[in-house]
Amino acid sequence: MSSSKIQVRGQPLLRVPARNHRMTHLVICGVSTKRHHREINALSSNSGPSLDSVPTRTDKRQFLRGDGNGKFGRFGGKFVPETLMSRLIELEDEFNFVRCDHEFQEELTTALRDYVGRETPLYFAERLTEHYKNIVPTIEGGPEIYLKREDLSHCGSHKINNALAQAMISRRLGCSRVVAATGAGQHGVATAAACAKLSLECTVFMGAADIEKQSFNVLSMKLLGAQVISVEGTFKDASSEAIRNWVENLYTTYYLSGTVVGPHPCPIIVREFQSVIGKETRRQAKQLWGGKPDVLVACVGSGSNALGLFHEFVGDEDVRLVGVEAAGLGLDSGKHSATLAFGDVGVYHGSMSYLLQDDQGQILKPHSVGVGLEYPGVGPEISFMKETGRAEFYTATDEEAIQACMRLSRLEGIIPALEASHALAFLDKLVPTLRDGAKVVVNCSGRGDKDLDTLIQRGMPSSFC
Amino acid sequence: MATASTAATFRPSSVSASSELTHLRSPSKLPKFTPLPSARSRSSSSFSVSCTIAKDPAVVMADSEKIKAAGSDPTMWQRPDSFGRFGKFGGKYVPETLMHALSELETAFYSLATDEDFQRELAEILKDYVGRESPLYFAERLTEHYRRENGEGPLIYLKREDLNHTGAHKINNAVAQALLAKRLGKKRIIAETGAGQHGVATATVCARFGLQCIIYMGAQDMERQALNVFRMRLLGAEVRGVHSGTATLKDATSEAIRDWVTNVETTHYILGSVAGPHPYPMMVRDFHAVIGKETRKQAMEKWGGKPDVLVACVGGGSNAMGLFHEFVDDTEVRMIGVEAAGFGLDSGKHAATLTKGDVGVLNGAMSYLLQDDDGQIIEPHSISAGLDYPGVGPEHSFLKDVGRAEYFSVTDEEALEDSYGQTKEDIPYIGIIYKGIHPFAFSAKGSDLKDDNAHHDHESYYGDRDTESLVK
Repeated sequence: MSSSKIQVRGQPLLRVPARNHRMTHLVICGVSTKRHHREINALSSNSGPSLDSVPTRTDKRQFLRGDGNGKFGRFGGKFVPETLMSRLIELEDEFNFVRCDHEFQEELTTALRDYVGRETPLYFAERLTEHYKNIVPTIEGGPEIYLKREDLSHCGSHKINNALAQAMISRRLGCSRVVAATGAGQHGVATAAACAKLSLECTVFMGAADIEKQSFNVLSMKLLGAQVISVEGTFKDASSEAIRNWVENLYTTYYLSGTVVGPHPCPIIVREFQSVIGKETRRQAKQLWGGKPDVLVACVGSGSNALGLFHEFVGDEDVRLVGVEAAGLGLDSGKHSATLAFGDVGVYHGSMSYLLQDDQGQILKPHSVGVGLEYPGVGPEISFMKETGRAEFYTATDEEAIQACMRLSRLEGIIPALEASHALAFLDKLVPTLRDGAKVVVNCSGRGDKDLDTLIQRGMPSSFC
Repeated sequence: MATASTAATFRPSSVSASSELTHLRSPSKLPKFTPLPSARSRSSSSFSVSCTIAKDPAVVMADSEKIKAAGSDPTMWQRPDSFGRFGKFGGKYVPETLMHALSELETAFYSLATDEDFQRELAEILKDYVGRESPLYFAERLTEHYRRENGEGPLIYLKREDLNHTGAHKINNAVAQALLAKRLGKKRIIAETGAGQHGVATATVCARFGLQCIIYMGAQDMERQALNVFRMRLLGAEVRGVHSGTATLKDATSEAIRDWVTNVETTHYILGSVAGPHPYPMMVRDFHAVIGKETRKQAMEKWGGKPDVLVACVGGGSNAMGLFHEFVDDTEVRMIGVEAAGFGLDSGKHAATLTKGDVGVLNGAMSYLLQDDDGQIIEPHSISAGLDYPGVGPEHSFLKDVGRAEYFSVTDEEALEDSYGQTKEDIPYIGIIYKGIHPFAFSAKGSDLKDDNAHHDHESYYGDRDTESLVK
C-alpha cells in the first residue's frame, strides 16, 4: 500500500506529488540527525508546520497530549477517508470521557489487577547485573539492571493493558464486534481474550507468513473464540485489511488498534492505556531505591511498550529514554525494521511519521526475527521524540537479540520474547557507558514461549551442558 | 459430605474404611536401589529407623474409623506425625543411605521456617520474581453460565496460579527448595518431571540461583513434550532421558532417587509434588501453602468471609494441597479434588488414583496408587499431561479416608468440552486458556451447589502446551 494522501477535513489538501513526498527535514534545536537520514526537499510552503512552531524538547504539552488534531510536532494527524472521521471523533469523545469517569477507571483497575495480574514486578536482575560487572570491570559496581516484568501479564505481554481497556470502550460504544490486526500474535491473543471476557465477537487479521511463524498464538486465538483471517503478507498488510474491514462495517465494529500508530486518537489512546507500565515503575523505583530510574530501555516496533514505559518520565529530564529497533540481518542488508534509523517521513495507516519507503514512496518490506517488531512505520509520538532528541534510538540485529534471549534465560531463568530481547541486547553497548550504580530499567515486554520454535529452527544448540 | 449426582460417569469416592488394611499391597516395582560400592557410614547418626513402623504405639496404623473416633476435629490430626505419616499413609520407604539426607532436610526445613532472613528472602523472590500474589479473579461469565433457571447459583472465583512466572504453581515450591538447597550448601540440583512443567520450574530457579541442574525425564515424555525439553535446555539445565520401565514419570522419579542416593552430599533433590518420602510431602505442601493463605486474605477482602467450596485438580496433588492446607481446620469449607478419568474409569486408561487405586508404596511413600493384581504399576493416562501420575500424595489419601476432602474424576472428553464452555462451537467464557480444565467439567455436574462462593483453583500453565490437543 503506497502512502497516499487523503484530504483531511478542514485542512487544505497537502500537495504531495506521488513520487516525491518527502517532508521538510531540518535540523532542530541543534540536535543532529542520524547520518542515514536524508536532508530532503521541502513541500509546498503552506503545508506542514512552520519552523517556529516546531516544538522544543521542553514543550511538554506536545508530548503529553499532542495538539487538538493529534499532532506531535509535524507527526501524527488524521489522514483518513471522510467516512471514518465521525467515528474517530466519536471515539475521541468517548475516550476523553472514560479518562475521567470514575466507574470506568474502577472497573479497569479491578480488571487489570484481578484479570491481567498487575502490578507487574520491577525485578532486580542480580545475575545479569553481575554478568556485566564481570565483563566491564569498574572500580565499584557498574550499573544495576532492573526488569519491568510485563512478561508476567495475562497472555504474556503488555498488549493486554490496551486490549482490555479498548474492549471496554467498544462495549460502551455499542459495538458487538471487534477487529484487530496482529503481527506476532500477542495483540491478537490479548484482544481475543478481552473479547471473550466481555462477550464481544472477535476477528483477527494476521499475515500468512506470521501465522506460520507463530502458530502457537494462532491456536490460542482460536481457542479463545476469535476468528483468525489470513492475509497475504505480514503485519502491515494485515493492518490494512483490518482497517478495510472496519470501514465496511463501521457501525457495528470497533477497530482495536494494538499500537501507537494510526489516525488520531488511536496513538494517544493506546499510549494512555499502556502508560500504567511507567506509572508503576515510578512508584516501584521510589520504593526500591528511593529515586527514579536513570535509563529506560525498550524495544521499538511501532512503539507501544516503549511509550508505555517512557510516557510517565517524559517530563523528567534526568531520565534517559532509549529505544532499540530491529536491525534484522544488518542495517546494510536491506532486511531490517529500523524505521527511525533508515526511514523517511510520510503518511501511513492514517498518520504522519517515519516509515521505511523506497524512492518511489513504496513501503519497504521489513524484517526481524522478533516478529512483533516487523513494522515499516513507527508511532508518530516516537518520531517526535526522536526529532526533538527527547529519546535516543539505536538498533540490534537478529543475532544479537537471540544471544540476549539465551543469556537472560541462562542467567535469570526468564525466557524473554525475541522483541524484548532487542532491548536486552543493547545493554551490551549501553552498560560500559554508564556510571556505577546507575539504575537501568529494561521493559521485558513479553515472554518467549511463542518464540521457541524460531529458536529451535535457528539451530540454537539444544544442549548446554 | 459426598454429593449425589445423576451423571453416569461421575463417581464419588466410596471405598469403605475397613477394606483399607486388607488391600495393603506393596507393588513389586519399588524403586530398585543398587547397593552402593562404598556405603557411606553414618557413624554420627543415631538413626536406623526401619521403614516399617509400629514400634511406637502412638503411631500404630490406625484405620480411618479410629481417626474419626479420635474426633473429626481436624486440629487434632497430625499432618504429618514425627514419622511423616498422615494416618497410615506417607512415611519414608527409602534405602538406608537416604535416611540421613532426609532427616537433614527435615531439620533444615524446620529451622528455616522460623528463620526471618530466609522468610524475607523467599517472600521477596515470590513477589518480584514469581509475580505473587496471584489474583483471586471473579469469573463473571463462568458464574453466569452455571446460573440455574431460578437465578440461583454459586459465585465462581479463580485463583490465578497461571499468572505466575513459568505459568503454573510449580515455581512456588521450586524457588523455596532452591533457596533451601543453597542454605544447605548444595550446588547441584536434580529433579524428575513428567509433563515437563516441574522440570521447567526447576531449571528456571537453578538459572536464577546459579545452581547446576539435572532433570530426569522419561524418554516417552521427552518425545511428547519436546518443547519443554528445549525450554529446560535453554535455561541451562541438562535433561537426561530415562529409558527403563515405561519411560515415564514414575521411572524418572526412580532414577532421580537413584542419583540422589549416589550424590547425596552435593546434591539436593527438588521433588515436584506432595509425594515421595517424608519430609517432602510436608515440605512441598508448606511451600505451596501460600496459595491458600493468599486465598483466605483475598476472600476476606472481597466478600468478608471464607470460600464455601475449594476445587482443584489432582495429579500428584501439590496444587490442591497448596490451596486446601490453609482451610483444613475450617470444617465448613468443602474441599474437592478432581482427578483425571482419561478415557473413562472403566477403560483402564485414566489417572484416577484415589477413585480406582489401592494402597501401596511407591517412590518412598505409602499412598493410593494404580496397580494391577500383581502389584505392578498401571500406566496412567490423561489428556492433561501433568495429571498422569499413577500415585497421589499421601496427605490426599489421608484426607480422602477421613472424609475431609472429596475426590471425583472427569474424563478427557468432559474436560475438553468444558474448556469451550459447553461444546466446541461455543465461545469460551473466560478468555483464559487452562489446563486445569478438569475442575470445570466437574462444575457442570456439581449443579447441586447452592448459592455460595464456590472457589475454584484455576491452576494451570497458560495452557500454551495444550492448545494443540485442545483445538483438535
